[in-house]
Amino acid sequence: MNTFVQRFAGSSASKELLAGNASITEDEDFSDAAWGSEAGFGSLARGVPSFMVPSVPDPASFLRLHTDDHADPSCRIKIQHGTTTLAFRFQGGVIVAVDSRATAGSYVASGTVKKVIEINPYLLGTMAGGAADCQYWETYLGMHCRLHELRNRERISVSAASKYLSNLVYSYKGMGLSMGTMICGWDKTGPAVFYVDSDGTRLKGDLFSVGSGSTFAYGVLDQGYRWDLSDEEAQELGRRSIYAAGHRDAFSGNTCNLYHVKENGWEFIGNYDITTLHYDGPGNVAGSPGHGYGYDLRVEGHSSANPPPAAAPVVAAQA
Amino acid sequence: MASLAHPQQRQFNPYSENGGTILAIAGADFSVIAGDTRQSEGYSIQTRYAPKVFRLTDRAVLAVNGFAADGNMFVKKVKQRLEWYRHAHAKDMPLRAIARLIQTMLYARRFFPYYVYNILGGIEEDGTGAVYSFDPVGSYEREACRAAGAASSLVQPFLDNQIYFKNQRPAPGTSHPVHLPLPTVLSIVIDSFTSATERHIEVGDGLEIYVVLAKGRNLQGLEGIRGMQELTVTEDGERVFVVRRELKKD
Amino acid sequence: MDHFPTNWGRPRNDAFDAYATHPIHQRPYNGPKDTFADGVQHTQQPIVTGTSVLAIKYKDGIMMAADNLASYGSLARFKDVQRLHPVGQYTVIGAGGDMSDFQYIQHILEELSISEISAQDGHELGPVEIHEYMSQVMYARRSKMDPLWNSLIIGGFKDGKRFLSYVDLLGTTYSASTLATGYGSYIAQPLLRKAVEGYEDTLTEEQGRKILEDSMRVLFYRDARSLNKYQIATITGAGVSISDSLHLETTWSFAEGIRGYGAQTQ
Repeated sequence: MNTFVQRFAGSSASKELLAGNASITEDEDFSDAAWGSEAGFGSLARGVPSFMVPSVPDPASFLRLHTDDHADPSCRIKIQHGTTTLAFRFQGGVIVAVDSRATAGSYVASGTVKKVIEINPYLLGTMAGGAADCQYWETYLGMHCRLHELRNRERISVSAASKYLSNLVYSYKGMGLSMGTMICGWDKTGPAVFYVDSDGTRLKGDLFSVGSGSTFAYGVLDQGYRWDLSDEEAQELGRRSIYAAGHRDAFSGNTCNLYHVKENGWEFIGNYDITTLHYDGPGNVAGSPGHGYGYDLRVEGHSSANPPPAAAPVVAAQA
Repeated sequence: MASLAHPQQRQFNPYSENGGTILAIAGADFSVIAGDTRQSEGYSIQTRYAPKVFRLTDRAVLAVNGFAADGNMFVKKVKQRLEWYRHAHAKDMPLRAIARLIQTMLYARRFFPYYVYNILGGIEEDGTGAVYSFDPVGSYEREACRAAGAASSLVQPFLDNQIYFKNQRPAPGTSHPVHLPLPTVLSIVIDSFTSATERHIEVGDGLEIYVVLAKGRNLQGLEGIRGMQELTVTEDGERVFVVRRELKKD
Repeated sequence: MDHFPTNWGRPRNDAFDAYATHPIHQRPYNGPKDTFADGVQHTQQPIVTGTSVLAIKYKDGIMMAADNLASYGSLARFKDVQRLHPVGQYTVIGAGGDMSDFQYIQHILEELSISEISAQDGHELGPVEIHEYMSQVMYARRSKMDPLWNSLIIGGFKDGKRFLSYVDLLGTTYSASTLATGYGSYIAQPLLRKAVEGYEDTLTEEQGRKILEDSMRVLFYRDARSLNKYQIATITGAGVSISDSLHLETTWSFAEGIRGYGAQTQ
């Protein structure tokens, strides 16, 4: 199915590697497809595009040597990561909410990352782990979902799509891919959420949160979750959970992106600044509490800038 | 575990780091892509003029930073693919397609990465200015501005403040502009690099600022800029200019 | 999956496989193997090495210098090695680093020249082409993790244009009006820059030779892997010319007056 897997599927790793290197020697062979319009992925019929692998005895440890800034902070290639993502199923569909921060070491590399990947109009994938791994493979998944539609005259089920992805990343197991994703959508069975990660784990469930801030998000999510949540309540729960993670987890933050998957596809609900959520709340949107999530609750009545509402006239009278 | 079996062999390190900084800012109908021209390794300046910013087409400019050998090879391969596209379709590849191409080309080396931070700037098919930034293995995002390289942590916060107006409050009754005019962007770029040169040892020597203008736009004040040179190849389309400036050499 | 973000985006550590889920065929090592099982051993280390190469632009073209020593570790093993090598009629390539790899480079450039000459198409390889070719070779070898362990300076003069550029074992390239490899990049490069930058079009051959000789002398005083026997190459409109070995005049009498430098003990 794909040359890369074949190259590493044999029992004698070093022998296969030598064979693999021989093919690298002939330069990166371009298919005819690269020549024409399919400049990127090329012809899908040939399977996954092949990857160049360093000709060292253990390619995974080579990759770790040069990209693992956890073990060696002076390593050069710093790959972006850091996240809180969540998705849950309820009577009105699926809510998908994510933050937008990407970190490289302690540097906030970006605060505007799109961590919800719009695979197609009725499938969403979330991004946690290696940003490139998620973007690339979920784009690739989107192409296969389209092929499925063309071949079978019907949309791919969320279950099948997620299984396709998990089989794919499993074939690269041990090579250093890193992704924790939720594939969310609505198919014949109704709303569906599947958790897929780079270890090859694939789980069906009602409620997931992935990433460093997941524990904070779970806290809010679990206390507020019911199957028969209204659409407004569900959206508010997603927002509030990401806010909690953004507030308490250093690797998460900046903004929250909220999506709602309904029977006829997903809908982008909005982008919310975490700081604004803290002080002022989500504003005039469905399910909004009408006040900030954090600030007022903590400081009201404790400073002259935020006098308690009842006490205000008294202070004014004294003045 | 491995050390028991194999005699300890010193691993060849195929990577190096050649310093320098790049940045790009998108405007409403233009895009500015800039980089310094110093190439260094450790504390040694290898050369004072090694370009890091390259014209790909009349509407796309690519800046590369990191390991120079990887960067040059990568640009070479991107240009090759764009030429193939031109032969097959008798037109230049659109900017967003170049961005996706760069993603797949970077990701093809997921297990032996190009140590290169890419920033792609130019004009989209709808005539808007655009900037795409990439990590070394191909994750990318369209943004309004981005700094990368040695002094990125010095320059990016400055851009956040000046372009995104982060931590700024507009005067009462006014609001922050969505897009800045070209002369303002150019002075922000020049200030970014003179400042980065002052505070980062790997930045300096020369500055190359590429400007891509959308189709049919006037020069927007570019005509008066010292050291400006036009690089446009085709007529009646987007136009590319380069402005070369000196930076401090110490 | 490991949910801690600083562990993301990077390969898992195979030494610790908590759930023993790691595919067997990718385990890094499976016990003792036959001595020859590893096959080709890549990326050794340089054995017989040359030190700095210097090069400058001057009025008439390019001038390069390199000494005649090939060291074996700290042993001054071969004192009659030529490290400036002419390629075609317009180019000289100077090499530091592993001398066996340099001989291989000379070999492939010889083969290249023969195939170009036999084409008889009126095209001749100039310094630009040879530098591009060498940079592709060097980068391809580093990408195979089997580098040619050299730093090369390629200088030439063709069609009225000077060319001076560098390429090394990583495939890194750059050009400037003065170049130096190895210790030369620390010791000689500042001297060369001071003497040459801004005067590229006015420096005479005589001045150029003086600058290079002085720099080679400074290198000989401080670089323990250098030799006072060196050659100078000029590449001009008149073609390539590589001098016979030259001798550096040095003075050591000052050492007697310096504690710790000369013969006196303590």
